Amino acid sequence: MNTFLPTPTADTAFFWEATKNKQLKFQKCSDCGYVRWPASIACPQCHSLNFEYVISKGIGKIYSFVVYKVAFHKAVKDSLPYVVAIVELDEGPRILSNIINCDPSNLRCDMPVKVVWEEALEFNIPKFELNF
Amino acid sequence: MSYDKLKKLKDKYAIVGIGYTPQGKVPNRSALSFYVEAGINAIKDAGLKKEDIDGLICYRQFGALLNEPEPTPYLIAQMLGIQPTILSQESYCPRHHFVQAISLLEAGFCNYVLIIYADNGFSGNRTFVEEATHPEPKNDNYLYGEFGFVGDYALAARRAMHEFNTGPDTWKEIAVSQRKWAMLNPIATMNQKPLTYEEYLNADYIIEPFRKLDAALISDGGRACIVTSVERAKDLKNPIVSIMGIGEANPSIDIHQATYITGPTGAKKASEMAFNMADITLNEIDACEIYDCFTYTVEITMQDYGFFKPGEGKDFFKDGYTAPGGKLPVNTSGGLLSEAYFMGLTPITEAVMQLMGRCGQRQLGMAVGNKKPEIILCSDNGGVLQTHATIILRRQ
Repeated sequence: MNTFLPTPTADTAFFWEATKNKQLKFQKCSDCGYVRWPASIACPQCHSLNFEYVISKGIGKIYSFVVYKVAFHKAVKDSLPYVVAIVELDEGPRILSNIINCDPSNLRCDMPVKVVWEEALEFNIPKFELNF
Repeated sequence: MSYDKLKKLKDKYAIVGIGYTPQGKVPNRSALSFYVEAGINAIKDAGLKKEDIDGLICYRQFGALLNEPEPTPYLIAQMLGIQPTILSQESYCPRHHFVQAISLLEAGFCNYVLIIYADNGFSGNRTFVEEATHPEPKNDNYLYGEFGFVGDYALAARRAMHEFNTGPDTWKEIAVSQRKWAMLNPIATMNQKPLTYEEYLNADYIIEPFRKLDAALISDGGRACIVTSVERAKDLKNPIVSIMGIGEANPSIDIHQATYITGPTGAKKASEMAFNMADITLNEIDACEIYDCFTYTVEITMQDYGFFKPGEGKDFFKDGYTAPGGKLPVNTSGGLLSEAYFMGLTPITEAVMQLMGRCGQRQLGMAVGNKKPEIILCSDNGGVLQTHATIILRRQ
């Protein structure tokens, strides 16, 4: 499914840079400790502009997931069916990703997952598989 | 925050004219042409002159299709031959357009506000995942094959299955009941297409847990209405349908981060505001016109409104409770699922037509075995449960 490539912006460049080293990097508010995603100049909880970076362990659970049975773009036709999920990381952020290496019919919300990296030119894309 | 100040607006403003156009599959028509036709028909229906219109509010069109120019309010006003005091175009759809109209009327900027939505989405092959047809990715969601509304609402629905055990057995009731209404509505896209539980359950998933039957139609056409004061409405020809209560809430958080997707969504806060203004309870509601971009949207909206407890939708919707002849009619035109997609104007204009008594075969009353309605509860929702409005309408 890596027909598409990451599109780093001024806000997300740090995130994609870190994937080159297979790291999931987030901003953590230096004042209230909230770990935020999407990336932003300020903490949505306390409006502090101060932050430090944290590297996620890449462990979390499936908050929700769906199974695409129809190709909404020709690039994904050969990947059907595939699972799109919201993964809730242990550090707090919820990120969109795929659950791979699984039988979609066995998946349930709240199942534990861990990150696996898929190469995409110089970047790596964070995907997840079941973590038992 | 207290919304008591809104109580002075109760029954002060009215919807006095509705504009329809041909709808469904209507090829060789620009979106602009539907805007203009819907606007003209609303003005005519209200018995107004075009010069009376001093406010024009249009939806921020999805990207124009078929190489057409954007249907801006300038263009629409020009084609209607009007020069309104206020022009507005934004993306928060009828739910906010009515708040805006009332505010403009109350402040004295306008006397008659025309609200229009139109699109040629069916003929223009609008997918509602239009980014997907774009050759270059515009955001990182594509990396994961995530293409927009259907998948996003399905994510919400899946979490709801997990949290309160809803699912296709609930949603099939919603889809089938609305189809029954559509079969009484000659202009509904699905008027000639009966739907059984078996057909629903045998249909393929598009994005599991959703089937195509869980999703709104994509339509050509337009819909418009005119808002003015009840005082002015008394001089006009249609029966008076007043805005008894209105509320809006915008939780705003993207579905991928939101935790309110299984409720309470913005529906709860918006409805508390609207019911507070109207000073009534759910018991006084005769029918509902609920924004139904997906079957699950109807369930979570009515659940958050308090019609049933989380997970009890399956029992609530069964045995035709919301179908023709049922105790609480819901989406009596067929709704977005089975009539046509005109954003929040599909539910709101249907409520007005029902209260005016202009709905023919599907008219609520003795003929379909329902009470003649006095008060109808409408909802509108947008983004992926990021914004919500509740509008309570009353026949005077």
